[in-house]
Amino acid sequence: MSILLSLFLKLSAFSLVAFGGVNALLPVLLNLAVNQEHWIDLQTFSDYFAIAQAAPGPNFMTVTLLGWHVYGVIGACVATLAIAWPSSIFIFYLQRLLLGIKDPHKKQSIQYAAAALAIGLVLSSAWQIALQINHGVAAYALTIATITFTLFTRWHPLYLIVFGAVLGLFGFI
Amino acid sequence: MSGFGGVLPWARRTLVERDKILTSEEFSAILGICQIVPGPNIVNLAVCVGSRFAGAKGAFASVMGLTLGPISLVMLLAVLYDHYSYLDSVKGILRGISAVGVGLIASTGFKMLRDEFRYPAMLLVVIITILAVCYFHLGLGWVVLIASPLALFLAWKKAHKV
Repeated sequence: MSILLSLFLKLSAFSLVAFGGVNALLPVLLNLAVNQEHWIDLQTFSDYFAIAQAAPGPNFMTVTLLGWHVYGVIGACVATLAIAWPSSIFIFYLQRLLLGIKDPHKKQSIQYAAAALAIGLVLSSAWQIALQINHGVAAYALTIATITFTLFTRWHPLYLIVFGAVLGLFGFI
Repeated sequence: MSGFGGVLPWARRTLVERDKILTSEEFSAILGICQIVPGPNIVNLAVCVGSRFAGAKGAFASVMGLTLGPISLVMLLAVLYDHYSYLDSVKGILRGISAVGVGLIASTGFKMLRDEFRYPAMLLVVIITILAVCYFHLGLGWVVLIASPLALFLAWKKAHKV
């Protein structure tokens, strides 16, 4: 029971600093789950990350899978709930306020500021996660190729995921 | 459930184009807010859209509707993973996917970064944030606290200039 409570409280605390969504949280999540609490080993965390990326659905699935690993179905529900409830309550009360701001400058200021924070956090997250889960030159090359393709072509991300899976299947990564 | 590569494009198609629950402008305004506030973006979107029609109950219902399917599916995948993760081919596939996954996250950041070059002073906030996280290893709460005053100040100037 205490592990469920700890899962709930620690994940809840992250919810309100997750500018840029759950993807910005991944390194913190990894550090908490792998290094501090020893809920999961690094390899399993990386694999769950891959499963969450490949499965259809929202990108908080890594959190769901972490909960699953810790305490089965209940763990999965608790983890998902924990990451979502503080920000949900926040937006529930704030949306009227934010949608009601008539001064366009004020509105834009808030948007620009939050966007800059989100960019910084998401890029840092990608960097730190890459350091943890990419092993070897081939993995980094694939990551860089993915960035190049998504920035300069209009390929659907699913093709890239399939491409990565095929390369991995034949032992290149 | 059919949200390969993110649920957002699909949410837009259903809510705006098919069911005409929201106008395109309303959807963009709501989405704008949901992407700037912290937390899982798609859950935020569900809260906003749901609460518009049925208050707290609507918000709750739409969050459940949006998350239960994918959560069940992903747990099914987790069961499969428990059974087959010892296979070298499965390990290889997952390594390949996670390398691509990291790249996809990075490119979300880079795509947003492109817009910032119209007002380069804002890049300072991005750089400070990255340094605070990757070099000084500060907790996310501290990073947000430290970077947000400068972010708001520069954003205010940007809004009056652009």
